[in-house]
Amino acid sequence: MEAYFVAIAIIVAIYTLLALGLNLQYGLTGLINFGHVGFMCVGAYTAALLAEQGWPAPLSFLAAAILAALAAYPLGLVSLKLRDDYFAIVSLGFSEVVRIVVTSERWLTNGVQGIPGIPKLMGFTGSGLVQASAVLLLLIAVNIVVILVMRRIVHSPFGRIIEAIRDNEDAVKALGKEPVGFKVRVLMLGAALAGIAGAFYAHYIGYVAPDQFIPLITFQIWMAIIMGGVGRVSGALVGTVILMAFLEGSRFLRDVVPFISEVEMASVRLGVVGLALILFTLYRPQGLMGDFTRR
Amino acid sequence: MTTCDRRTVLKTLAGASMLAAAPGLTLAQGAGTFRIGALNPVTGAGGPYGGGMQKMIVAAVEAVNAAGGAGGRKLEVFAEDTQTQPQAAVLAAKKLIEINKVQAVLGTWASGVSLAVVPLTNDANIFLMHCSGAPALSGPPANAKGLGYRFQATNDQFGRAFAEICAREGFKRPATMAFNNASGIGNTEGFRKAWEKKGNKVVETVVYEPSQPSYRSELQKVLAAKPDVIVMGSYLADTTIILREWFQTGENQKWIIPGWAANPDLIKALGNEVTEGLISVESVSNEQSQAFKIYDAAYQKAMKQSGLNNAYAAMTWDMVTVLALALEAAGPNADIAAVNAKLREVANPPGKQVSGFAEGKEALKAGKINYEGASSVLDFDQFGDVTPDFGVSFVSKGQLSRKYIVKI
Repeated sequence: MEAYFVAIAIIVAIYTLLALGLNLQYGLTGLINFGHVGFMCVGAYTAALLAEQGWPAPLSFLAAAILAALAAYPLGLVSLKLRDDYFAIVSLGFSEVVRIVVTSERWLTNGVQGIPGIPKLMGFTGSGLVQASAVLLLLIAVNIVVILVMRRIVHSPFGRIIEAIRDNEDAVKALGKEPVGFKVRVLMLGAALAGIAGAFYAHYIGYVAPDQFIPLITFQIWMAIIMGGVGRVSGALVGTVILMAFLEGSRFLRDVVPFISEVEMASVRLGVVGLALILFTLYRPQGLMGDFTRR
Repeated sequence: MTTCDRRTVLKTLAGASMLAAAPGLTLAQGAGTFRIGALNPVTGAGGPYGGGMQKMIVAAVEAVNAAGGAGGRKLEVFAEDTQTQPQAAVLAAKKLIEINKVQAVLGTWASGVSLAVVPLTNDANIFLMHCSGAPALSGPPANAKGLGYRFQATNDQFGRAFAEICAREGFKRPATMAFNNASGIGNTEGFRKAWEKKGNKVVETVVYEPSQPSYRSELQKVLAAKPDVIVMGSYLADTTIILREWFQTGENQKWIIPGWAANPDLIKALGNEVTEGLISVESVSNEQSQAFKIYDAAYQKAMKQSGLNNAYAAMTWDMVTVLALALEAAGPNADIAAVNAKLREVANPPGKQVSGFAEGKEALKAGKINYEGASSVLDFDQFGDVTPDFGVSFVSKGQLSRKYIVKI
């Protein structure tokens, strides 16, 4: 029982990391990044491959963050020329490119067979529930640090400029600030977070394969921040909790509503998430924690 | 204002999550039942099969319970959807293991899903019975505890069967085309290994990405090598496109295609002229057997179509049946290890051949049994793998007809 909730909490915490990164990019800077899962993929494979080589976790996590951030650099340069929808298309394409590269470079990634047997984190604490709880605590700690940094960013001059870029890029230029550097930095920062999330994911699931990193993940993160509140740090957390409550809660719904079979429930689940998303955009477009008064 | 709102919201959320958790505490977990988790690909890539697989687990459990249960216990099913995604499958498996306290997880399908779930079932010391092709699932670490059972042919076995057929049909210059996933490449790589072992060469190897509207460039690359037969590791949708485009080129190769792609649907989509002479290879569901007839009746009742359409559903049917027989053989209150010890005993020779649970339960009173399943004769080797036979069918005038059986 506890182990199941710990498992859900771990996935929520990993998704929260992803959501925080996307929130920085979209919520604060206005970059429509549809390729978030690509950076997660880079992080996950980096961590998995380095763990195979016997690297200690702190180093491989650092490498995952750095490589994911570096992968975002070229995308950042693209964002110079492309705004809004066009950037969205390019970033979506980017994440697919990452997935196809990982699929094709079999010498490195074992292709579609994936990399099994990635060791668990915090193995020294024991096994079972204790180990899982240790991973959860670590994830919570990482999330807290990231949230504190985010809050710091929001209130810093850097934060004011990226929000200004979101609101009116031309005005920022007119005031003598060059948006390019800021956008690239925001993208790399968000990608680094996704890379760390990917590293946690790889170690937690214990197995990575290219078909785990499909755009669906990106859009689940999008759902989370839309429901939670775009541009709010707290929105990222609340949104992921709501998303997971929908996805996982529906399992229990079936236990109390006996006439729905799992086969039907699978469709009901997607329907309910879609309905919730529509209702949110209709009646609370700013999200649960959102505050659009400033826009 | 917003703060106030947020608090209300948080309270509501907390309330909601407690509500969601509550039924978990009160789930009926009657004593004296054996709990089975049906973890199937109801949505996602496995969607066409998952629903039927799950319904056949439920149907087989009903059959077992109607015969008075196994080893003095009734079976109870908890069903979940893997979404054909490892992460969703891991959470679903955690729920089945931790909350529903299942003692066996049945019917995972994609290799990625099975590889992600098997550490959990191993940690919990329970069974995992799956329909995945990946060779890694046979040995340690995935199957270190011997609790994993594979009801499907491995991709390697498929490849070896393809090579046998190539040799038998006298082909000299085979080329391969594979759908880029573990199963597709597993088939063609298995073929290449087995073919090269016979001292031959594969003239061209092409791997293609899924979900393309056209495969012309891949096809041209293959045809440029002038093969006399093209061996496929493919699915229905892509095979349909590839064959249509191949026919337009006017070339005349032969094709060897796995049975899940070269089926009546393919012939219906392409017509008799294009499909003439295709060779379709499938692991033989044990179609002539009594067990298959029993399964087929159950499948037709639940899904309103022939049981031949879903080889995986026959496997999940067998999973429940063979597990129940092992429970019966192990006797009341046996633990997982004791049941595991009996599993090969009831499935493999020697023993009286039986085709269903009720029959097997009776026969067990007299002595050893050997369950001959609906999906295959179901004899497990030391890795928990089955070695099915492969049926080779040729398409002629729009009809698939089986010519011979290949044993590997």
